[in-house]
Amino acid sequence: MSPDTPVPEAPAAGAAPEGGRRGWWRPELILALVVLGLGVFVIVGTLDVSAAASQLGIGPRFFPILVGGAMIVVGVFYVVDVLRGGRGDPEESEDIDGDMPADWRSVALVSGIFLAFTAVLNTVGWIIGASLLFFGLSVVLGAEHRVRAAVVGVVLGIVTYLLFVKGLGVTLPGGPLQGVI
Amino acid sequence: MSSFQLLMEGFAAALTPVNLLFALVGVTLGTLVGVLPGIGPAMTVALLLPITFTVPPASAFIMFAGIYYGGMYGGSTTSILLNTPGESSSMITALEGNKMARRGRAAQALATAAIGSFVAGTIATALLVVAAPLVVDFAIGFGPEDYFALAVLAFVGVSAVLSRSLVRGLASLGLGLVIGLIGIDQQTGQARLTLGVPQLLDGIDVVIVAVGLFALGEALYVASRLRHAAPEVVPVGRAWMGRSDWARSWKPWLRGTAFGFPFGALPGGGAEIPTFLSYATEKKLARGVSREEYGKGAIEGVAGPEAANNASAAGTLVPLLTLGLPTSATAAILLAAFQQYGLQPGPQLFDHNPALVWGMIASLFIGNTMLLVLNLPLAPLWARVLRVPRPYLYAGIILFAALGVYALNGTAVDLVVLFVLGLLGFAMRRFGLPIAPAVIGMILGPMAEIQLRRALAIGAGDVTVLVRSPIAAVLLLLSLGALLTPVVRKLAERRELAPARKE
Repeated sequence: MSPDTPVPEAPAAGAAPEGGRRGWWRPELILALVVLGLGVFVIVGTLDVSAAASQLGIGPRFFPILVGGAMIVVGVFYVVDVLRGGRGDPEESEDIDGDMPADWRSVALVSGIFLAFTAVLNTVGWIIGASLLFFGLSVVLGAEHRVRAAVVGVVLGIVTYLLFVKGLGVTLPGGPLQGVI
Repeated sequence: MSSFQLLMEGFAAALTPVNLLFALVGVTLGTLVGVLPGIGPAMTVALLLPITFTVPPASAFIMFAGIYYGGMYGGSTTSILLNTPGESSSMITALEGNKMARRGRAAQALATAAIGSFVAGTIATALLVVAAPLVVDFAIGFGPEDYFALAVLAFVGVSAVLSRSLVRGLASLGLGLVIGLIGIDQQTGQARLTLGVPQLLDGIDVVIVAVGLFALGEALYVASRLRHAAPEVVPVGRAWMGRSDWARSWKPWLRGTAFGFPFGALPGGGAEIPTFLSYATEKKLARGVSREEYGKGAIEGVAGPEAANNASAAGTLVPLLTLGLPTSATAAILLAAFQQYGLQPGPQLFDHNPALVWGMIASLFIGNTMLLVLNLPLAPLWARVLRVPRPYLYAGIILFAALGVYALNGTAVDLVVLFVLGLLGFAMRRFGLPIAPAVIGMILGPMAEIQLRRALAIGAGDVTVLVRSPIAAVLLLLSLGALLTPVVRKLAERRELAPARKE
């Protein structure tokens, strides 16, 4: 997954310059460099794809080179644009308060809870895992009644399990509750 | 057989009890996700893609069509009743709609939006019936170079139109194209960009990409800037309108339809431009009471843009069904659904699967009618949905995102990929990169590559084969124009500013 590895750093690295200004530095620069880097990666990464020379027309490397080349051009323009102070319009949505400073603590907590859920899902099973996921996320996002959040989480965990496993035949991990439900 | 006959057969297929049920589930689900902020039709269809393994194609597409149209209806309810800016296509509706609602005319605003959506949706779907066979006849002779040029036009159009910053639109497109490259090359069986990870040989599933960019990306973005005040929802009863509202609404509905359909059918047209044009036109044409009310909640300013919005949704289906060309994120996901069934939309689809295509088109008429019934009397119910506490809403969205992605292959590895894509979606939102070009690039990219290689194989390596067909040449010229428009516009703006500064 190397094309995406630089991405996880984007929000984390963006956290630092939020307060203090460091001249030309902008968090968006990371995303722009990712675009540029991906262009290079696409070209370098497909170097080892041995094009069957006997093939009529063009092999499996032509289009990646096209895409990679275009990405490099766009990436350079993007980096320059960011350095010159250009900016896009952050997406608007009903629940977004654009005037507020970014709340990195919430983002980190939501990310942490999601990754923890990913790590334990196969051990604790869907019902327990999903209930904890819902409870944790809703509390982090500001749910006022913790007991209610817990109850909703457990109900959602059980209902989705029954609906998808028993009703739709989807495979979800049962965990310790395997035999009980 | 004439298209009218085929449509009648489509109705026969769509009117079976099972398919009616699928349509009802689709429109209900569509309205629900349309009303709820943070989740839309594109992501809902993406999450439901796995059902394509068990449900016959006709039923699945009838349901997807319902979700697609339902999402448009639901979006207008949100923008009228909720006092916060939303996504760009429904923002215009909010301008007058929310002011009407706060003046106590919420019921009339919702009614003109719902009835206008119905009128526009029905007329535009009828236009689709007329236009589709014409486009099919025209496109039947398209060669691979023409299809490649079409894809280029769609790429450039979507990237240039959806973002004020061209470079950000193109960056988003590039990210999608790269994701689409990952995996085994379909023609030679060579692995590309997989870094030796066996799970990547099949590429990254479109469900994971769509759910990551849309659902998880949105949830993380909301977490970073959650509006902590409770949502302010204008209370409303049953949606209805009086005689004078009808008199003021019907012309804007028709004009809105006329704006919406052609723009929806254009690559990169979308819903933003026609809704805005409709709004501006109604403002210009307003006389008497409406003129006084414009800006304070005039019904014309809701009726026109809402009609334009729905007509453009129907227009989007013309290039999707007849050429296999998606021009919006939802259309791209629908294209992915066709691919799951091994179907390729385009002229051949109308030849080989007329029952499926016409059944889907017929279900659009049926779904539209259902939506009218669902939205007029049930408006108070949808208003209640809007009050769902946001912590629960976004926790629930993440839970369903995890469920849908885990269910694909039953591995937690996919959840990690989902998370990485979620971070990408978050960064894109924060820095104003539109999401749609990425989704279209990922889904349409591999097809563009196949057509390009076919064309070059026919030309035996001669690149001029790409512009030898007049259609391809015109399409590529248009793409170049779309690419240069923002640049030219910027230069013109600068020239206008320059003398102003001198004074």
